[in-house]
Amino acid sequence: MAQRERDALTGRLTTGHEWDGIKELSTPIPTWWITTFLISIMVALIYLWLMPSFATTRSLEPGLLGWSSRGELREEQAVAAAAQAPWRQRLMALPLEEVSKDEELRRFVQAGGRALFNENCAPCHGVGGGGQQGQFPALLDDDWLWGGKPADIVQTVRHGIRNEDGDSRQSAMPAFGETLSKEQIAQVADYVLTLADKTKGEARAALLGAAVFKENCVSCHGDSGEGVRDFGAPRLNDAIWLYGGSRDAIIHQVTNPRMGSMPSFASRLNEESLRMLALYVHGLGGGE
Amino acid sequence: MKGVPATASGRYRRIKTGLACLLLGWFFLVPFLRWDRGPDLPGQAILFDLPGRRLFLFGWEFWPQDLPIAVGLLVGAASLLFYATALAGRVWCGFACPQTVWTDLFFAVDRFCEHRRIPPTLVKIAIALLTGFGFACWFTDAPTLAGRLLGGSAAPGSYGAVLIIGGLTWLLGVYAKQRVCLHMCPWPRFQAALLDRDSQVVTYQAWRGESRGRKRIPLREDLGGEPGGTRGDCIDCTRCVAVCPTLIDIRDGLQMGCIGCGLCVDACDTVMEKIGRPAGLIRFDSETNADAKSWTKTLPRPFAAKPMLFLSVAVLALGASLFAMLTLSPLRADLDPQRNPLFVRLSDGGIRNDFLLHIQAREPGLSTLRLRLAEGEAGLLRLGGHGDHIGSKTIDVTLDQRELRERLLITRPAGADAKGRSPLHLLVEDARDGQLLGTVETQFWGPES
Repeated sequence: MAQRERDALTGRLTTGHEWDGIKELSTPIPTWWITTFLISIMVALIYLWLMPSFATTRSLEPGLLGWSSRGELREEQAVAAAAQAPWRQRLMALPLEEVSKDEELRRFVQAGGRALFNENCAPCHGVGGGGQQGQFPALLDDDWLWGGKPADIVQTVRHGIRNEDGDSRQSAMPAFGETLSKEQIAQVADYVLTLADKTKGEARAALLGAAVFKENCVSCHGDSGEGVRDFGAPRLNDAIWLYGGSRDAIIHQVTNPRMGSMPSFASRLNEESLRMLALYVHGLGGGE
Repeated sequence: MKGVPATASGRYRRIKTGLACLLLGWFFLVPFLRWDRGPDLPGQAILFDLPGRRLFLFGWEFWPQDLPIAVGLLVGAASLLFYATALAGRVWCGFACPQTVWTDLFFAVDRFCEHRRIPPTLVKIAIALLTGFGFACWFTDAPTLAGRLLGGSAAPGSYGAVLIIGGLTWLLGVYAKQRVCLHMCPWPRFQAALLDRDSQVVTYQAWRGESRGRKRIPLREDLGGEPGGTRGDCIDCTRCVAVCPTLIDIRDGLQMGCIGCGLCVDACDTVMEKIGRPAGLIRFDSETNADAKSWTKTLPRPFAAKPMLFLSVAVLALGASLFAMLTLSPLRADLDPQRNPLFVRLSDGGIRNDFLLHIQAREPGLSTLRLRLAEGEAGLLRLGGHGDHIGSKTIDVTLDQRELRERLLITRPAGADAKGRSPLHLLVEDARDGQLLGTVETQFWGPES
């Protein structure tokens, strides 16, 4: 047993250990430190008891307070929803075309619509709605495949385009590479290129492609290439070409057409969100 | 009393008291001045509106982007401080510095409460909290602040200001006192660079004071005493030390601890009068003059080269600020290009750029503005995303609460040159009289080919 003794020089106790005549002064941890340490342990135990701390085989043991981050989020969402409720009621009470005339409501719709757009639409159409050349149409311009009125946009977003949703917008352009010769396709491409140019009215009719166009294209794209929205057939007599406006691109599109598809949002967005989103897209600059 | 300097009376004490009243009055009362700006704006003459990010100064309203004006004012104020220091030493420290004013106030409280059975600590706490309150008044509606604070409806920042500034007042004015001037304040560290031997500083005229001694020791012959006398004018009564707020002995010469308050001058003059000797043993004087053993003091030399340098910087900076204040633009207009995408191609071949237009007007009367593009720049304007697609050459916009934040779509019609990047100037005019209020310069982007 080690012998505890008092050091004569400093007046402090030694630990009692001795190594070759050298003894060690006892320097215990300060009381305040020990006390703080014990209090910390107590606090930790109380915390474990109150808060969810232990995983059980099924889920997390909920703790005495029953707190969860998910529950906190739900509460915050409920508060936000309650705050927005009157606005949403106003939004649903008005016809779509009237909403923008109510300045306060318009701001609410713009703010909510932007959030919905960034969450649901931006991955394809871009954060600013600029689309992606060759893949996704721009939503900022005045050219609409399926209609640019708020109600049209609601319909397009709700059911999507060319998907499994029974009400989705459906259409398909035949692959003319199988029915037309390469020569005919080149002729019709030359003809299509002149459609946007109003000055070429008479010269256009004389083109070889005119007959090919009349036989194969007018049923969907219209007599003068103005497009038919019921089929989502794009306007051909304007400056906007989703799949490219060069001769090669048009030949390629006629031979082996590409057609976009858009998912149905009916199961993801409720009626209010659809309206907000449609009005936001409508307000991007091209709405009709 | 322990820790409280003795009272002095005389010219500099009167100046200090008067100036302190003026400055404290300014600090506490100016926020209560009113200024009518109409129903939608605060009616406080000087108001630092932090939540609104603006500063009201009588007829002016400053926004964060007007910061260069504040820079000019601060540079000017600093140069004026340099000027005053080069002329007359640390007069700022001795007379006008808040540390001096409040410490002096707390000394006055100590002296007042002595023998009056009033606990000085309570009075000091009250003054400290009142100081916090006075500070908070500059940032919110002053007349209603007291009611709001007591009723619990004031902003958290107001409570914070009262407690933090109150606490700092206590810490600096009651606890730290002269330690601030000696150890914390950077100002004494570089005063040596501003002073020269012609600057007016508190000077002990050693040539007539030494050797100091008790009054019964005979006066030196050259001072009008008897032959064989050894004592100078200083009778070593130490009144100059007793009244010093920074507890220094000025007879050791110019030193960092001297804040130039002149109280030792008053104390010494009083004693000199009592013993029938000429005043001015300690006086505001230049070191050159003290070395010259002159009975008459020199006057400040405001036109010497060094002070003039500081003065000219001050005049330049303040003048530039004043000019900027007088020619302040009546509105602020920003045009943020919405660069995603850079441009929109329209079906008729036109190219559109979308911007976020943000207009703020200083003047409440400015409600309708006319927007147009500069001469020779093609483009049609359209506000917001709804409505017709064409737009027009000029549009009128209405401000709501002096502000407008809206999408502005600018279209270069087909045929107009819209290739690459080109400059764009949006002119903002007053719709009432067509007066040009501002020009916003930005870029118009189009396809590369």
